[in-house]
Amino acid sequence: MIQEEIRCVEMVEIVTEWMEGALDDDTRTAVEEHLAICPDCTAYLDQLRVTVAVAADLAHAAEPGAGAEPPPDDVRARLVAAFLASRPSGGGGPSGG
Amino acid sequence: MTPGDLGEDRALLAALRAGDGAAFGSLIDRYHSALLRLAMSYVATREAAEDVVQETWMAVMAGVDRFEGRSSLKTWIFRILINRAKSAGVREHRSVPFSAFEDDDEKEPSVDPSRFQTWTRWSGYWSAPPHSWAGVPEERLLSSETRAVVDAAIAGLPAMQRAVILLRDVRNFTSQEACEVLGINEVNQRVLLHRARSKVRAQLEEYLESAEASGVAS
Repeated sequence: MIQEEIRCVEMVEIVTEWMEGALDDDTRTAVEEHLAICPDCTAYLDQLRVTVAVAADLAHAAEPGAGAEPPPDDVRARLVAAFLASRPSGGGGPSGG
Repeated sequence: MTPGDLGEDRALLAALRAGDGAAFGSLIDRYHSALLRLAMSYVATREAAEDVVQETWMAVMAGVDRFEGRSSLKTWIFRILINRAKSAGVREHRSVPFSAFEDDDEKEPSVDPSRFQTWTRWSGYWSAPPHSWAGVPEERLLSSETRAVVDAAIAGLPAMQRAVILLRDVRNFTSQEACEVLGINEVNQRVLLHRARSKVRAQLEEYLESAEASGVAS
């Protein structure tokens, strides 16, 4: 099958499939040929990559409310205590209780 | 799951079964904030999300002996979280959460159609192409303000798109892991990721270029 030339308007719809390696060989080749001659779509692809990189940053940025902060000590301690109490042999030694 | 993960999982699981509190603590340190953030996508308040995460940890404690290792510990824990968050969303009678599982914007283009040429011999090619961000200073891209824009864009997505982008791009899950956690197939996962990234990109573009226009980045 001969893959028709890809236009920019189609490119932006299949770019994720291309990034994920999910395209068939013909379509993948057509995408790569388009990227080789289209600086605008190359810029678009770079923007997507920057977007992904900033999203990845969210996991490491410990801003209040960003959900990346560690659990409060009391929450952690309570959960670990509940875990120890839940083990039949009380792995933490005498539970006292 | 890489062989390294598998070995680590086995050691961790053995420690958990032996009642090792430090092992359980290490799980909390690793996943608690990611679980909380994901839960916050599905319930109305932070308090409710904290309850969902607490329930998840309780279910992990209760299930650790029965866990069969068919998935990684990580995907198992996140799958419990998603199921608990769904139930909590239903309990809250929230209309948003999992009606949004069937996202209703399937026909929505990834880029505003007015940015492409029509009725010319270059129909379907850019008329208002994206600008290169190569000139945007790194410290601007890495700023907390830029992160906040992306954070808000993700928060505004329909539930499933949000879940997929949080797992894939924020938490660096593989596509297979994301599929396992959410109970969806690879094709759906890719479609959701595509829509999510396209929308977040558009909002980031709007932000970076409006800042540029006002002279901040130039």
